[in-house]
Amino acid sequence: MARARRSPVIARDNTPTPDASPRHTQYALPLAKAERLWFCVYLPKLPLEACGPGDGDLAVIEERQGVHRVLLAGARARAAGILPGQSPNAALALLPDLKLEERNVIREQQVLELLATWLEQFSSFVCIAGPDVLLLEIAGSLRLFGGLKSLRRQVAAGLEAQGFEAALAIAPTPLAATWLARGGQRACVREAANIMPALRSLPLSCLDWPPTVLESLAGMGITDVGDCLRLPREGFARRFGVKRLLELDRALGHAPDPRNSWRAPERFCADFEMTEEQGDRELLLAICRELLQSHEQFLLARQLGTQRLLFTFFHLKAKATSLPLGGARADRAADHWYELLRLRFDKLVLPEPVIAIRLRGGTTRALHATSGRLAFHGRAPREHYYSMSELAERLAARIGNGSVHGVNAVADHRPHYAWCTRDLFAARAADALTRVRQGIARPLWLLPEPELLSTDNGHPLHQGKLRFVSGPERLETGWWDEHGIARDYYTAVSPRGAGLWVFCNRDRQQGDEAAWYLHGMFG
Amino acid sequence: MPRNSDTSSLEKLLENPRVWRARSQPGPAEGLSSGYAQLDRLLPGGGWPRPALTEILIEQYGIGELQLLMPALASLCVEETGAEVAEPGWIAWVAPPFQPYPPALQNCGIDLARMLIVRPRNDSEALWSAEQALSSGTCAAVLLWPHRLDDQASRRLQLAAEKGGCWAIAFRPLSARHEPSAAALRIELSADHRGTRLAILKSRGGSPAVLHNVV
Repeated sequence: MARARRSPVIARDNTPTPDASPRHTQYALPLAKAERLWFCVYLPKLPLEACGPGDGDLAVIEERQGVHRVLLAGARARAAGILPGQSPNAALALLPDLKLEERNVIREQQVLELLATWLEQFSSFVCIAGPDVLLLEIAGSLRLFGGLKSLRRQVAAGLEAQGFEAALAIAPTPLAATWLARGGQRACVREAANIMPALRSLPLSCLDWPPTVLESLAGMGITDVGDCLRLPREGFARRFGVKRLLELDRALGHAPDPRNSWRAPERFCADFEMTEEQGDRELLLAICRELLQSHEQFLLARQLGTQRLLFTFFHLKAKATSLPLGGARADRAADHWYELLRLRFDKLVLPEPVIAIRLRGGTTRALHATSGRLAFHGRAPREHYYSMSELAERLAARIGNGSVHGVNAVADHRPHYAWCTRDLFAARAADALTRVRQGIARPLWLLPEPELLSTDNGHPLHQGKLRFVSGPERLETGWWDEHGIARDYYTAVSPRGAGLWVFCNRDRQQGDEAAWYLHGMFG
Repeated sequence: MPRNSDTSSLEKLLENPRVWRARSQPGPAEGLSSGYAQLDRLLPGGGWPRPALTEILIEQYGIGELQLLMPALASLCVEETGAEVAEPGWIAWVAPPFQPYPPALQNCGIDLARMLIVRPRNDSEALWSAEQALSSGTCAAVLLWPHRLDDQASRRLQLAAEKGGCWAIAFRPLSARHEPSAAALRIELSADHRGTRLAILKSRGGSPAVLHNVV
């Protein structure tokens, strides 16, 4: 690593030296160009808080190496002497009415996403930086929210109102902010030059490094970030990995630290709840139409369309009935979806009257309006003009998705593998079609399965004795899988004038009579 | 001669399908060339009637009943991409008795992207699908293999074809020959060891005729 060799020590003066090394200018520039300020929200008690607001007599347990241990305990439980790391039985002995809950990482993630959505009001750039860390880029928000202090107060008040205990820290680099927040310091570092002094006294346990690294560092007598920065870069990288060194560089602002902004999923989900059960299908359809219209509004505002929708009809006693709808292309028009829904709804059996209807949109895709076309070219303007994909959708909605398809050619010599059906409703239905060799006589009709022909002295019969027109075309291939063939194909004409494509199986035991099959017709 | 070449280049320009001339509104009865000269001569409009229903009565499959249509279907694939049409039209196959074989279709010049295969569960679904496809205006041609097609159903197909400006082809057994039908053209195709025989049973604006060994 050339960079490491240039300066063997991580720590450098905070005062810019006039003979700045190339590295210095390289990394100083982006910081100077676009000032960034990262606000870190660290939620140390997220596993507990994700279980919902409680009275404090709750403890979250987690399985580690096959043994359950208390991970976090609520206020009342803590007062009773329950500590993280205790066994559930010990905790129950201390507080008999203690509620124990298994840690639910998925729920924590959901809570974190909800918080991220809430935090989007403060910054356009929110990112989920770990299982319990949220980062906001606030350099651009300071003015709007009345300065750093006011912004910080608003975020803190909001988090508290929602029942979250958070540690907040502000620093010019995301990692520094995260580490400071983990350290529990109400730090606020605004200048890049002040990062180093702020981090120096931070214990290494705030860095979220693997325990083995921390242990060996502790063995060397290194317990805080300042100690770490005093180590030679080269040796540090060799012992603990380049990644750790990079993290330190990123925290100090010497290396860029790009982050991905989190975006709330653009999906539609709406419920319509009725005051009493309804069995009137026309009324239900009308409600569905309303839901579809609000769905269209939602997508219209975002210039999106979707290919899938899911209606769920809830009943008081029976299990909910779901009705998925799929289209051949992304669309948002309520009328279009309503047409599809009506076709499917006619056949839908509802076991009971409906109490609520939910509409969930599928994954969305950018949708651009297309311009219509002028209808000349010898054709009268059509009364009922809709697109090709709409036709396929309508047909599929009535007679089933599997019954409407396209076809594609496949480059395979085995006749029955030389084609496949093409799904018109797959997301990438517009896949390139295969062009295969031309000019070899192939029948327009292929039989789903070769049909065994009766023979007369080894000569195939079909409506009488066949007359061969051309052949044989020997196809002997596919040995690499289990469906190899060894066949001689002939074009033949039956006595009644039908053009047939027959083959003789060469793959037979000695002494067997040749087996003849009909495989296609020259329709 | 320079003068001559000037006019020919103008002709060439006017032949370009993108040039639209208000004077030359094509007549409604213009047929779609079948690709078989002797057949075109017998059909009014010089080809398959469009938009309309054509019935092909066959005794058995494999006697060239598809080959008869292939040149016209292939010309539909080319014609429409040449003109400024936003989307090409489907060639819909409703309830085909066997699998239309893509390598052979490509050999005939059919664009596989236009192929729409519909496999309905019963005859009424087949007719519904065909009618939807015909009237949608998004199909260049609809091929249909119904088990039964009564007078009323054929009339519906004929109307749907006119509405959607589409070419409808229904394949029916020879036994249907004495049943009434609203089709604009009825053709009987039969074959024996000597070759094929094509008989025009009914042709709106034309007259019955018999041809041998067209396909």
